[in-house]
Amino acid sequence: MRIVVCIKQVPATTAEKRYTADLRLDRAAAEAVINPLDEYAIEQALRLQEAGAVESVGFLSMGPEQAAEALRRALAMGGDDATLVTDPALAGADEWATARVLAAALDRLAPDVALMGMASDDARGSLVPGAVAALRGLPLLSYGSELRVEGAVARIRRLTATGFDIVEAPLPVVASVTDQVGEPRYASLKGIMAAKRKPMETWSLADLGLAPGDLHGAALTRVVEARKPEAKPPTERVENVSPDEAVARIVDWLAERKLI
Amino acid sequence: MSNEIAFLAEYAAGSPARSALELAAGAAQLASQSGGTTVALAYGPGSADAAGLGAFGAGRAVALGDQATPAITFAAAAVAAVREIEPLALLAPATPNGRDLAAALVGLLGLPAFGPVRAVRIEDGQVRSEQATLQGTVVTVSQPVDDAPRPAVVLVLPSTFTPIEGGAGAATVSAAPASEPGPFGSATVVESHPAEAAVANLEESSVIVAGGRGVGSADGFAPLNELAAALGGAVGASRAAADAGWVPYQLQIGQTGKVVKPALYVGCGISGAIQHRVGMQTAENVLAINKDPDAPIGEFADLFVVGDLFTIVPKLTAEIRRRKGT
Amino acid sequence: MTYRLTADHDELRAVVRELADEQIAPRAAEIDASAEFPWDLKELLARQDLLGTCFPTRFGGTELDDISQAILVEEIARADATTSLIPIVQKLGSLPILLAGSEEQQARYFPRLASGEWLAAFGLTEAGSGSDVASLRMRARRDGGDYLLSGSKRFITHGSIANLVTIFALTDPEAGGRTGMSAFIVETDTPGFSAPRLEHKMGIRGSPTAELHFDEVRVPAANRLGEEGDGFSIAMATLDRSRLSIAAQAVGISAGAIDFAVGYAAQRQQFGERVADLQGIQFMLADMASQNEAARQLTYAAAAAVDARAPDLAYWTSCAKLIAGDTAMRVTTDAVQVLGGYGYVSEYPVERMMRDAKITQLYEGTQQIQRLIVARQLLRRAGVARPGSPVDG
Repeated sequence: MRIVVCIKQVPATTAEKRYTADLRLDRAAAEAVINPLDEYAIEQALRLQEAGAVESVGFLSMGPEQAAEALRRALAMGGDDATLVTDPALAGADEWATARVLAAALDRLAPDVALMGMASDDARGSLVPGAVAALRGLPLLSYGSELRVEGAVARIRRLTATGFDIVEAPLPVVASVTDQVGEPRYASLKGIMAAKRKPMETWSLADLGLAPGDLHGAALTRVVEARKPEAKPPTERVENVSPDEAVARIVDWLAERKLI
Repeated sequence: MSNEIAFLAEYAAGSPARSALELAAGAAQLASQSGGTTVALAYGPGSADAAGLGAFGAGRAVALGDQATPAITFAAAAVAAVREIEPLALLAPATPNGRDLAAALVGLLGLPAFGPVRAVRIEDGQVRSEQATLQGTVVTVSQPVDDAPRPAVVLVLPSTFTPIEGGAGAATVSAAPASEPGPFGSATVVESHPAEAAVANLEESSVIVAGGRGVGSADGFAPLNELAAALGGAVGASRAAADAGWVPYQLQIGQTGKVVKPALYVGCGISGAIQHRVGMQTAENVLAINKDPDAPIGEFADLFVVGDLFTIVPKLTAEIRRRKGT
Repeated sequence: MTYRLTADHDELRAVVRELADEQIAPRAAEIDASAEFPWDLKELLARQDLLGTCFPTRFGGTELDDISQAILVEEIARADATTSLIPIVQKLGSLPILLAGSEEQQARYFPRLASGEWLAAFGLTEAGSGSDVASLRMRARRDGGDYLLSGSKRFITHGSIANLVTIFALTDPEAGGRTGMSAFIVETDTPGFSAPRLEHKMGIRGSPTAELHFDEVRVPAANRLGEEGDGFSIAMATLDRSRLSIAAQAVGISAGAIDFAVGYAAQRQQFGERVADLQGIQFMLADMASQNEAARQLTYAAAAAVDARAPDLAYWTSCAKLIAGDTAMRVTTDAVQVLGGYGYVSEYPVERMMRDAKITQLYEGTQQIQRLIVARQLLRRAGVARPGSPVDG
């Protein structure tokens, strides 16, 4: 039983982020980390491996060469091997191109479960899991708060508006999990040292049997403008007054804005 | 190729979801800019009655299927419908169901995807979308590249559009072209556990009173419940409060929870860390009450009150009730 | 002495910093206020393999180079000085066994120390012998195949929570401390051992500093390190290396104080502008940062000297501890100054950092002893040293 976790390297939340002059995300400039929501997918896969339900955990990422750091960090948390798909033609890849490339790579790796986090910090589209499942012709188990594999099926627990469902599909599947699977572990020092020795392969588009022309030049969308958001009016602060005075101001404010 | 604007219309328990009505209004708006008409791709129990969407802005509707299955199981039918219509744009709700179905379309048809967007319009016959990326620190305007396939798929958050009221007319309903069901059908719900208590749908609430770590306990939410009741709103929570088990997970607002856009958001004992902020930052009016004068929420709230929520909130509730005469 | 920082060093720093920022820094104020040892953080550090960095890999350690060990301590100390003592003292208490223990002794104890299952402590100082190590009075009387240890130790960091203490006692009182002292491994659950009292301290308050009593504690000869009489040189060799950790601790404390002072000054407004834009404050911050950078680089150079087993490594480690400790006291005092009145109150962390910094000028050899060590080396290099220095080995 093998899980491959797809991860993405993204700018750190607190780092200053920029778009380059040609309006692409300047990934080199900011401190790069594993997309925080992917860490939950890594954690879920490692827990299943520790419980004996899964024999092998691999990591897959598509990105610039620097994304190998994210894969090493994942390997430092655990798992067995990693694959990086990198190609200059993939710069600025959009969701469809990403899904196309990941699907091709996953078809080659052929895991029982292709596992992802539910969204990436920087793009927030959450379209990649569904698009990958569609391209691979596999069932999708999305937004799981827990993933299990037993025999020939995978099962997730998914929160609904009113409670939760258990959704099941026969293997192989594409799955995504939320932050409710449990806190991701820190990489231990031995993990970091062991990660250096774990195998990592690098594939180009050609290795996947794809040409840049297959991807419409990596992006079907383009950014025509990037700007800072409109400045908000300054916050009105109410402090160092009695609670009654504070309440009076709040109620006046609500009335001014026609909220009561 | 057409100037039609398509949108996903989800039905549950016999009625259209609020997202269907919001997207109908959005589609109508875009259609007036593109010079085309609107078409609903309706699915789920009750979708056979999609004619009713006419009053909300739909010109016509294509019924994809009325099983009570996850939206993605209608992907093949949606693909067939989209191939036939070739709309300029397809609006999809940025809910888990909507995203998954939109994702399948993007994957199978190789479509440009946008969103979740804060605004979208048709300019010069092109979809142009505006989204806040990198956790709200950058606003980008995007459009499809010149020879991109159609439609452009646009993810739309709840409350971006307002349903048309007082409209009339019936949409003509046709069935989707024949298609193979595909692999998505093999993912099935094998168990369904409803919650013990009904949980409000935060995405549809125009007033939300949210509690965070500062609330301290499940009992601590009692004054927040009272305030929400006095304002006619719902109660939400930050991830800290949900993780601690003080409220059900469905009330969590934030990056991994609900994204809400109420007219009034009241954050009590919530620090305003970025993961929560992305879930509520488009609220029209933000009031925050926190003991910590340096809490990050103080930087983006409209009104920031430094004080003890357990003293202020009950007084506030009482005063509101007094003014309302309730 | 030259050294190079590698990508591995950077990665280690990033990993420890993340852990420190997320799990250690939020606990620092409460550890100081309660003066309780943070067992949960000890468990966390053990789980992350961060207590085994000085032990050989064949015993389950990770055998990192000394620069890496310095970076580890520095990044933890930046978040909390008390917590940084956990890896520092684990190494201090184990160094005598690393330097003078037999393969059998190492095999017996290192696996549990490397995993963090056991804690170690270093028992040299007594009420009457601090800087004057040779004047210690604890006795180890031979009794058949064992020794009986009697006496007291004072100011023993983690002495009350350690499973194992390396103890220095006189096997030959007539000969005096320099030649009559021996070193022993004492398991603290041995009858006759007790830790009856803890000190109430100015800083590093979450770290228990204990008085240890030995009432005829029976220790097998197999637990003696080296030969009888080797104790003094084992102690000196230990301190020559362990003081490097203190230098790293001091650098870390300073770094934390500087970061906080800069952040505070950037948002505090007075006289219509940010305090950080006032030249007077900028001068202070610049002095703090440049001096700590010097201390940091000197610490890494000293670590490289230890890694290279340089014959004059003691000179290097003493320079580093001297400079880093004095810098930490200056930097943290100035950090309080930058915050003004707010720097004096416990709501802000700099007053704790200032109280924590002071110890780096006192333990593992006072700054005065460090100066004697540096001076001795200078005189030796010039060929003009005379015997009789208190720090002669």
